[in-house]
Amino acid sequence: MRASSYVLALLVLLTLNFFLPRVMPGDPISLLIELGSPVFVTPGTRLALAHYYGLDRPLVVQFGRYLTGLLHGDLGISVTYNRPVTRVIGERLPWTLLLVGTALALATAMGWLAGIHSAWRRGRHSDRGLLVVFLALGNLPVFFIAPVVLLVFAVKLHWFPLAGGATPFATSGRIGRVADVLDHLVLPATVLGVLVSSSSFLVMRGSMVAEIGSDYLLLGHAKGLPDRRLKYRYAARNALLPAATAAALQVGQMVTSSVFIETVFAYPGLGKLMFDSIGSRDYPVLQGCFLILTAIVLTLNFLADLVYPRLDPRVRP
Amino acid sequence: MGTFGFLGLLAPLIAPYDPHAISGASLLSPSLHHLLGTNDLGQDVLSQLLFGARESLLVALAASSLGTVVGVVLGAWAGLRGGAIDVVAMRTVDVALAMPALPLLIVVAALAGPNDLVVVLAVASVTWPPIARIVRGQVLSLRSRGFVGAARGFGGGSLYVTRRHVAPAAGPLIASQFVDVAGTAIVLYSGLAFLGLANASTSSWGGILNRAATYPGIYDSLAWTWWLVPAGLSITLAVLGFALLGLGMEPGFNPRWARFS
Repeated sequence: MRASSYVLALLVLLTLNFFLPRVMPGDPISLLIELGSPVFVTPGTRLALAHYYGLDRPLVVQFGRYLTGLLHGDLGISVTYNRPVTRVIGERLPWTLLLVGTALALATAMGWLAGIHSAWRRGRHSDRGLLVVFLALGNLPVFFIAPVVLLVFAVKLHWFPLAGGATPFATSGRIGRVADVLDHLVLPATVLGVLVSSSSFLVMRGSMVAEIGSDYLLLGHAKGLPDRRLKYRYAARNALLPAATAAALQVGQMVTSSVFIETVFAYPGLGKLMFDSIGSRDYPVLQGCFLILTAIVLTLNFLADLVYPRLDPRVRP
Repeated sequence: MGTFGFLGLLAPLIAPYDPHAISGASLLSPSLHHLLGTNDLGQDVLSQLLFGARESLLVALAASSLGTVVGVVLGAWAGLRGGAIDVVAMRTVDVALAMPALPLLIVVAALAGPNDLVVVLAVASVTWPPIARIVRGQVLSLRSRGFVGAARGFGGGSLYVTRRHVAPAAGPLIASQFVDVAGTAIVLYSGLAFLGLANASTSSWGGILNRAATYPGIYDSLAWTWWLVPAGLSITLAVLGFALLGLGMEPGFNPRWARFS
């Protein structure tokens, strides 16, 4: 049931990616001609071009070609970079993975610790304070907070580099290079992580609060187990499950936020690539990014669904 | 929230300048003539913000209304009819929910060109699925109640039953969903505008952010404090306003929340 839903979603995605540009105004040939010299283009040339790109074939044939191309890892040729889209995306993908991975670790650590604490002391001052802070963080638009952070920490305080993923042409050995990459990573990963930690917090808090009334905690308390042990080893361990699943779903949210983060911090990942391709009207790259980003999100959602019953021994048959 | 709506509504009356007119030198700092200074073209930032409130709220409300109507109609229909219609509708919802909204919106907006109508339709198309699912669940539980059964027994059609019984009973839930969706719509719309994908001739909050953040000299002076920050704060406050409004409406209908707060 679930798996077939995802297969269906993937098919819809592939179909959308194929048909969207074809139903929208404007066609690739006109775009190509506009970029060159429209004066010299006769209707004959236009037909020849359409024939060359296979655009005069029936849609079904084009769709078939598109699918077989995809299976061979062919996403077309980028107009700006004049190289296969797969290659261009391949170079950018590791940056996005690094950014999202770091941010996820940060968000999880922050959100979970705060969530455990908040649930344990629910209704008290520190719980209310944390709730307000995290609710506010969750509602801050990333495209507002990112420029402000960049301004304060990079422009005014000069603590971190302004843009990019690494200093170009820097030659200072392997260690220097790693330090340089980390230096560039701090700001974008922190902004992304802190903003996303809001949902880690809320899920962990909710899941933890649901555990707190349990009999085993009462028994543990009666046995005289220390509070710390009850909190982290008993309650938090049981509350971890929904939180872990939610973390997988969050990656999807982070991948989309990374479009803004990377744009603001000029971080050389997929999101920045996607943004640049809008400006340069590089449709093959735009669609390639869309396809890859969406496929990542779909896969993660699917994994979360798949893994959940396997993590919980109580659900296991 | 009401304040924003009010200010947006009154924008043409209270705005000190035409938001597009060049009313002073460029990048003037705030003064009595220009309460929030001017931008790079010398346009009054406060007037732009006021008109931006109108623009942003209008687009968000249009998109979320459309999304809510589609979601309610589809969810109620699926829930009342059951059978194949229900299966197909819920499968569609599953697929639509699995799609990440933002990349899809970016591609549609980039291909269709900057156009507010396209943005409204696109945002609506990603906001209806959760509503449809919730309404369907509500309808399923309502359907088994006596009064709906009686109405059907007397020959009431789907549309009649929806209008007369389902809508009032599910109304508060739908209202809180609508508010929720409106917040999402503001963020999505502002995000698209920030990426330069919304109509550039109007001054939405996201559009102001886009212009300010891409202005090459924005970080050289203090201009960002009156140009970039107010627009960002407006978006934040609007979203927070919608979120709190939704939260305030929620406890009555969502037992999980009622327990905690």
